[in-house]
Amino acid sequence: MNAMLRCRDIGKLLYDYVDGTLEPVLKQQLEQHLADCPGCLAFINTYKQTINLSKELRPKGMPPELRQRLRSFIKSKSLQPPGFWKRLWLRLAGSS
Amino acid sequence: MASPPTENQNFIKRLKARNEAALEELMAQYETKVFGLALRMTGNRQDAEEILQDVFLAVFQKIDGFQGDSKLSSWIYRIATNTALMKLRNRSKFCEIPLEEELGPKMTEEGMIAEPVVDWSKLPDEELARKELLHWIDKALTALPPDYRSVFVLRDIEELSAEEASQILEISIAALKSRLHRARLFLRKELADSMMAHFPNFKMVSPK
Repeated sequence: MNAMLRCRDIGKLLYDYVDGTLEPVLKQQLEQHLADCPGCLAFINTYKQTINLSKELRPKGMPPELRQRLRSFIKSKSLQPPGFWKRLWLRLAGSS
Repeated sequence: MASPPTENQNFIKRLKARNEAALEELMAQYETKVFGLALRMTGNRQDAEEILQDVFLAVFQKIDGFQGDSKLSSWIYRIATNTALMKLRNRSKFCEIPLEEELGPKMTEEGMIAEPVVDWSKLPDEELARKELLHWIDKALTALPPDYRSVFVLRDIEELSAEEASQILEISIAALKSRLHRARLFLRKELADSMMAHFPNFKMVSPK
């Protein structure tokens, strides 16, 4: 059965394999292929590593000055009561 | 799993009443997520800060219309993604992403790998190399077309489920899966190429 999977097939099964949704028979065939194919193993390892590294791109926090500027900005806008902007717009539109 | 306090009805009522403590709680919970998403989507800190402000302003202005059909977090992610996509639309055209077959190693006619593949996944504890890799991913992300980038950011950086990401982007699970796979292949290839260029002595794995 192992001989049936070619490297090209691995590329098509890769997503589901990494996602953990590949059906067991195919998973076993894929793993047999990997055991015998360093090129595919390297490819799959680096595909997984790309996903793992990407998680580290998520910032752990925000710079304090940015937090401050966000709050000042929102405060300057949100002190107006609900509908304020709409009423202002209607008033301006009506007076033109 | 219990929902975070910002998902409950009472909290949303307080937000609709413009309760200042609730607004602060919402910002504290989501500002880093929104900023991170904006930063990875635009690759530019100034744009990311503008998006951050625009998103929270939109959230506070539109909260009265929030019906609770989706989670509050999905609603905020949707506003953030759309705001970032709008910003990207003003930029010059992006390249098309290559076809899936062009993003993997070259194959023989029999469908077997025909060239060496570099395995840089097990870095020998080299912080420098890891930092380089992160820098290259970040750079390569900006070359991804926006529709692929948004999928990658929501799924692989923000780690949202496929269901939530597909709702936010209003695309099918199948489309999400296809875009995510191609985005990953694209980034993997960019990393492999950068690795080869900067570390020419890195261990090569030859095809059998």
